Amino acid sequence: MKYFKLPDLGEGLQESEIVEWHIKPGEAIKTDQLLVSVETAKAIVEVPSPQDGIIKTLFGKPGDILHVGEPLVEFEGESQEDTGTVVGEMKSASETNSVSDDHFIIGSAHHRSAPQKRCTPAVRALAKRLNVDLAMVSASGSNGLITAEDVEKAHQMSSEKGEQFILRGVQRVMANNMTKAHAQVVQVTIHDDVDIYRWPEGTDPTMRLVRAIKAACEIEPNLNAWYDGNEMTLRPLKKIDLGIAVDTPDGLFVPILRNISQRDADDLRDGLNNLRQAVKNRKIPPSELIGGSITLSNYGTIAGRYGNPVVVPPTVAIIGAGVIKEEVVAFEGQVAIHRVLPLSLSFDHRPITGGEAGRFLKALMTDLALAE
Amino acid sequence: MTSLPPLKKTLVEAVNLALAHEMRRDESVVVLGEDVATNGGVFRATEGLKDEFGIRRVMDTPLAEALIAGVAVGMASQGLKPVAEIQFMGFIFAAMEHIICHAARMRNRTRGRLSCPMVLRAPYGGGIHAPEHHSESTEALFAHIPGLRVVVPSSPARTYGLLLSAIRDPDPVIFLEPKRIYRLNKQEVIDNGEALPLDVCFTLREGKDITLVTWGAMVHEALQAADQLAQQGISVEVIDVATLKPLDMETILHSVEKTGRCVIVHEAARSNGVGAEIAAQLAEKALLWLQAPVKRIAGYDIPMPYFKYEQYYMIHVDEIIQGIEETLAYG
Repeated sequence: MKYFKLPDLGEGLQESEIVEWHIKPGEAIKTDQLLVSVETAKAIVEVPSPQDGIIKTLFGKPGDILHVGEPLVEFEGESQEDTGTVVGEMKSASETNSVSDDHFIIGSAHHRSAPQKRCTPAVRALAKRLNVDLAMVSASGSNGLITAEDVEKAHQMSSEKGEQFILRGVQRVMANNMTKAHAQVVQVTIHDDVDIYRWPEGTDPTMRLVRAIKAACEIEPNLNAWYDGNEMTLRPLKKIDLGIAVDTPDGLFVPILRNISQRDADDLRDGLNNLRQAVKNRKIPPSELIGGSITLSNYGTIAGRYGNPVVVPPTVAIIGAGVIKEEVVAFEGQVAIHRVLPLSLSFDHRPITGGEAGRFLKALMTDLALAE
Repeated sequence: MTSLPPLKKTLVEAVNLALAHEMRRDESVVVLGEDVATNGGVFRATEGLKDEFGIRRVMDTPLAEALIAGVAVGMASQGLKPVAEIQFMGFIFAAMEHIICHAARMRNRTRGRLSCPMVLRAPYGGGIHAPEHHSESTEALFAHIPGLRVVVPSSPARTYGLLLSAIRDPDPVIFLEPKRIYRLNKQEVIDNGEALPLDVCFTLREGKDITLVTWGAMVHEALQAADQLAQQGISVEVIDVATLKPLDMETILHSVEKTGRCVIVHEAARSNGVGAEIAAQLAEKALLWLQAPVKRIAGYDIPMPYFKYEQYYMIHVDEIIQGIEETLAYG
């Protein structure tokens, strides 16, 4: 193999951003030795070398976006030799400076990045003088032409309002998913509180929520499902694969805690800790970030009583847990101060009825209200 | 039945392979030129063809280029597909009358009644320490003439595919073979009769920082420059124009839209060259994408020097790298 192309990293991810090369041109590499780290839409993936060899060329540098099937590295070819009768002094093959020319495209290469911004040389010079990045300027001219006015406006905005930046990586994924969700899902959110005065000291709210979700899914299995809005098909899922929203400095991750109904509490706790650690180190494989059947967002660890968590297709439900606080409650005809857990349940009202969602929330609360 | 592994061929061997393939496939294909039959050609491009196809299809001619071109025009207009060799491009001028006044306009002049499906092969270009008139690059003369296709291959595989297309083309093709790289590289060439399109550029390296446009032997230096710059993190898109007339500006424009910068490299003298045409079209059609002036790195406007000074005339990898760096540093 002369060219190693960016392999399909699974789950339909078509592009990856190079994070770091682990090899330099001219260096030898062994099969399965780490070649490059790439950031897919969801995580950092380590790509190993498919063969032994000497690296000749690296295609792209950190920050470049590569598409599946595009060459990633070129390996050194075997040396060549030639003899032949010539007129004059004609150099022949196997000279040290011979270059590879085995791979070519008939016509033009596919655009890897967005085309250049269009503007006249004078406007380009203006942008340079004002230190305006044309990539950030929105064009008002015909066919996306950037005018001098656009550049001046962008300059004024930056100096008066502050600089802007382009979303990357997981931030970009979040923005896309939220846009898609908003466009497709008909979302309804219902709220309620659970009195958790029975919980013993040191109860872990997250593990109780996981257990309660399992219980609620048994009552209303249609909320643990995937919905295809084009085909109008609902697929209630046999396993409960719970997506758990994790906030990180890099952005929002939703690792999947698999098959929660078949695992005991200790196993789930270990699994959750492992996922959180992997997210924190940015070493979580993409496979651990896809295929969730229902989602939990425990924003109460930060702040907020009720939320309006967003259902991301194809799932149909997400549970939000707010801050646990001491509240004044009516308890057995008396005024009492108990710890209360506020809940929010968002569901996609296209395939799910209010009754189903209400019964789900009720089952959730019933389980959470238990002492243990 | 096991298939043989494809053989590695040099560029000149790929010429031979394509000629033999097409002569086997199409009885109307004939080869003529000085020393092409018994001798097999001064560069061995036609070696073995006489033995296989006989002297009725592989013809030695007198040392008379006007005759070679004139006979080829006659054959082509009457149903044969001649592939004539001009031993060195420097000898082609005696044949210009036939090429320009007859071959190029046969179809137009006869209102389509006759056509002229001939190929004129000529080794061209410098860098082999040959006398000066053996070393020039005068492709622009032919690219200027309506009715001619001008094709310049730059690797064994593309030579094979392009020569097949040139022979199959129903109109005259000037097929200029960069002799400096006749034997420079070997490449797997599969003799499967698959032609490559004329009129389309080839993208040899994908890049996003700058577009490097060239053809012929300079492709070799261009690729070296691109590979060296890649080590510094500069991503150069290398385009082999391959067919100079008609010119596939679409591919070049597509690339420049992406990179915003373009350097054109040709061995031929700078003024009024094919590079000037490409630069002019970029100015007309890509001005709004350009982030720097289009740069030409080209031969001097002087007669090709005698070979003692030839190396000063030829374009080296360092000059291409410098030109790219200057263009990237602009603005």
